[in-house]
Amino acid sequence: MREIYNVAKGVAWRQAHIFFTNPSFLLPSLLFPLFFFTAFVGGLSRIRDVPGFDFPLGYTAFQFVFVLLQSAAFSGVFTGFGIARDWESGFMRRLMLAAPNRVGIVLGYAIAGLVRWITVIVVVTGVAFAAQMKIGGGGVDLFALYTLGFLLSIVGTLWSAGVAMRLRTQQAFPVIQMPVFILLFFAPVYVPLGLLQGWLHGVARVNPITPLLEEGRGLISGSPDKTLLAFGILFALLGGFAIWAIRGLWRAEAAG
Amino acid sequence: MLTPRENSIEAHGLVRDFKKGPRAVDGIDLHVDPGEIFGFLGPNGAGKSTTVHMLTTLLPPTAGTATVAGYDVVEEGPQVRKAIGAALQEAALDPYLTGREHLRLQATMHGITGEERKRRSNELLTRVGLTEAADRKIRGYSGGMKRRLDLALALVHRPRILFLDEPTTGLDIQSRTALWQEVGRLAKEDGVTVFLTTQYLEEADVLADRVGIIDHGHIVAQGTPEQLKAEISRSTVEAVPADLEQKGAVAAVLERFGTPTTGFGPESVAVQLAASDGDLAQIVRALDAEKVRISNLQIHEPTLDDVFLAKTGRHLEGAGEEEEQEEEEAAAL
Repeated sequence: MREIYNVAKGVAWRQAHIFFTNPSFLLPSLLFPLFFFTAFVGGLSRIRDVPGFDFPLGYTAFQFVFVLLQSAAFSGVFTGFGIARDWESGFMRRLMLAAPNRVGIVLGYAIAGLVRWITVIVVVTGVAFAAQMKIGGGGVDLFALYTLGFLLSIVGTLWSAGVAMRLRTQQAFPVIQMPVFILLFFAPVYVPLGLLQGWLHGVARVNPITPLLEEGRGLISGSPDKTLLAFGILFALLGGFAIWAIRGLWRAEAAG
Repeated sequence: MLTPRENSIEAHGLVRDFKKGPRAVDGIDLHVDPGEIFGFLGPNGAGKSTTVHMLTTLLPPTAGTATVAGYDVVEEGPQVRKAIGAALQEAALDPYLTGREHLRLQATMHGITGEERKRRSNELLTRVGLTEAADRKIRGYSGGMKRRLDLALALVHRPRILFLDEPTTGLDIQSRTALWQEVGRLAKEDGVTVFLTTQYLEEADVLADRVGIIDHGHIVAQGTPEQLKAEISRSTVEAVPADLEQKGAVAAVLERFGTPTTGFGPESVAVQLAASDGDLAQIVRALDAEKVRISNLQIHEPTLDDVFLAKTGRHLEGAGEEEEQEEEEAAAL
């Protein structure tokens, strides 16, 4: 365990150091979710007046939950980009050689992804409060809301690490990004599930992101009703993608 | 904690196949003694780097076994990685980090933290002459500086065995000499076993206690440079007559001591001596007896290139390019 910890600490430190000291990494990570948040909240705020829009806290809180989960998932995606870049540049070989226990490499990237997400969500939360976002839930609800994002960030990193370890090239970027993008935007992003119609409604109903989003919105308004389902989905995804990432690491080891 | 085992390297029947590619390493056997500098010599594409990748646990062998520092490279990878340091052919460094930050990363991954990490980093930066450049980003480093940093990174955790994959390729003569001195010091003073791949004959000759010559995935010769040269080649004597009209007379004298050979200047006469320990004094006396005046007389020792030529039928220099050209021609057909 000590060896895994040392390796994870080193990898996480490097990733976080590069993130915080290079505007080319830091700014897109911050601006991307802020852009979504301000654009959706500002441009689509009249949606709250649509008949059937029953979210009690207004459109800012409604969109905040989406941006929280989106930024969490994308912090994992960006971390995956870093892994793919490291393979292509040959730097991953240095890490593979220096790591007595290579599981620590995946863990280190996951920790770095979390650090990245926490930074982003602190800024987004600050902007949301500045935009007078209303909160209906208590401290426990908010803790659970941020825990949803925390776990989704790890899921995102494990997914993208698995892809990056298998493809080992920057050409992995679209393969990492597209499924996450599609899942996020085929969830009830702009209106509650009940207002979606046709095939969009059908897709959103089976989309695993939908219960996470609905639970998040329930938590921020103080009336969560899908807690078990949402956390069950997250833990299932965590388990599945942990296996996916570790098997990807083994495949990368076998390929050399 | 590592249990103390010998700092040796052993490989038996090591094979590596690549999908849709040739067999890169084809059943090699080798043994490297503790504290020895082993030079692994061969042209581009001979299988040197693939062998290093297998011995450093970066690549699993297709067949065969290997132990490094007493640990099996397949079954005991973590123990192998703790015992070794490696500087691979491409010094893969992060352009966003400084030299000191690279050392911090490497040290942290090996569990070296706090004051010990700082002390060790400073010590290594001084040793490889990068103290002044330590806090500069890598993108501003020259090729030689990157190589030296790579060596420092490989030494952070005081490895017992060091793998250097073509460490001086592309370096100027000063950087090359400095690196040779450091590698020699590591083996002699610190007792580090060094496995060094190279395509430079001089490097293997100067640095290595023993040499293995690899070609097309096979080890074609193994031994000390002196043994290999003695087994395969004989010394050559080259004489330049003071008066070019006496070239025939010089040739007649020299042919008593060996067989004529070419590859020298147009004014020279050269023979490969019949015995490896040719007596230059005897040749001088014979020339003097024939009253032939000589402006230059020298004895050329056999080189490792002669060994490579004898074993493979090709010169080492250019062998890699020939293979690459053959592969390209085959692919074009």
